[in-house]
Amino acid sequence: MIDFHGYGWRLLGGALLTAELAVLSLVLALMIGLVVASIKLSRSSVLRGFALLYTTIIRGVPDLVMMMLLFYGGQIGVNMVVDQFNSWLGTNVFINVNAFMAGVITLAVIYGAYMSETFRGAFLAVDAGQMEAARAYGMSGWLAFRRVRFPLMMRHALPGINNNWMVLLKSTALVSIIGLSDMVHIADQATKATHQPFLFMVPVGLGYLAITSVSELAVRWLRQRYDAGFHTAKRGA
Amino acid sequence: MADNAIPLVVRDLHKSFNDNPVLEGLSLEAHEGDVISLIGASGSGKSTFLRCMNLLEIPNAGDIVVHGESVKFKTRRGEREPADWKQVERIRARLSMVFQGFNLWAHMTLIGNVIEAPVHVLGKSKKEAREHAMALLERVGLADRADYFPAQLSGGQQQRGAIARALAMDPEVMLFDEPTSALDPELVGDVLKVMRELADEGRTMVVVTHEMDFARDVSSQVIYLHQGRVEEAGKPEDVFGNPSSERLKQFLGPRF
Repeated sequence: MIDFHGYGWRLLGGALLTAELAVLSLVLALMIGLVVASIKLSRSSVLRGFALLYTTIIRGVPDLVMMMLLFYGGQIGVNMVVDQFNSWLGTNVFINVNAFMAGVITLAVIYGAYMSETFRGAFLAVDAGQMEAARAYGMSGWLAFRRVRFPLMMRHALPGINNNWMVLLKSTALVSIIGLSDMVHIADQATKATHQPFLFMVPVGLGYLAITSVSELAVRWLRQRYDAGFHTAKRGA
Repeated sequence: MADNAIPLVVRDLHKSFNDNPVLEGLSLEAHEGDVISLIGASGSGKSTFLRCMNLLEIPNAGDIVVHGESVKFKTRRGEREPADWKQVERIRARLSMVFQGFNLWAHMTLIGNVIEAPVHVLGKSKKEAREHAMALLERVGLADRADYFPAQLSGGQQQRGAIARALAMDPEVMLFDEPTSALDPELVGDVLKVMRELADEGRTMVVVTHEMDFARDVSSQVIYLHQGRVEEAGKPEDVFGNPSSERLKQFLGPRF
């Protein structure tokens, strides 16, 4: 049995935190991406302008900088709002920005921008006749989206989503700078204490590989599901 | 006859795209069992006319009345648009459309396509919809293809499947937008045969077509459009047998 000098359980806890952070951020990023993509394809030029501004800023600024801006700036912003309420109401409340939530929101805001581009392209790749048929058969906007537009779009979006997810997962390592004990953070501490980088960094690398391998299975399942109907093996049979 | 007994009445329809007039005052009355063929050269406005009937295009002026129910319009920022999209959805569900490019939903099997709108738009039970769908697929000769995806079917099979999808709505009027134009010549016959059978059983149909034999043999009325106006209209024996317009004579050529 390998001796982790007592860091074994903390390392596992860090891995769990990494996975939680990544999955929660992914879910939020997907929602942001869908909404922003819809805005980019909408008729309102004002909304489209805001969406463009959002993706331009996010994609042009390093993740690390965004994270510090949102984490520290977020705390300052929350303090300002809370102070204002305190002075109005004569209360004395302090709200601490939870590092975990800050991490999730930051990653979601960053990767939501990338997701929105993936979704936008995927929506545009859907043949217009498919939605026309949906409308011609009396479907409401929401029903047509749910039954026709979304499932057809997903086929085109999946490779991009998968790509963004891989990058997002690895970006979770950045949260250690805002004080979260993810697995990289723990391994770094352990390495400094024991001077044995391989003992801790190799398991961390394997941990990321384990998460991506599991997610690869999920992506394969999704791909099969959304590819149904697009393989023409039986054509002309 | 009172309007509410007539399946589809269209009055004085106007439509322009970016100030280019495409339809300039077109009208039509489809009575129960009528088969109305719209013919004309490319760009004459016949497809746009048809697409206005189920509001895939929004006409700039004119009325659309389905069994007495008039589509309500309003004007917003100088653009005319339907006042009540719920009403539009309801009316579309009563007028099934068959497209030139079939437009079967690619991610659903053939039977999935046929039951989709009956289940999700009309609220029928899946079981009932499936039974009806199987009977319709039987009719168009595709019962053994029910579980195939559109990409696994030939163009002719897809279009017959699309006709089954249209029939599954129990439509009051069927709108056909050049249903055979995208088909290989040897596949056209099967689709036209199905359409002839529908006409024979008294379906009310409006058909945009380049198939002159079909228009002549099956229609109760033929409308020849030229540059967004009705150039000539009447019974097929008159329109084909004794056309008065010079343009129509040219359009029909020496065969008629």
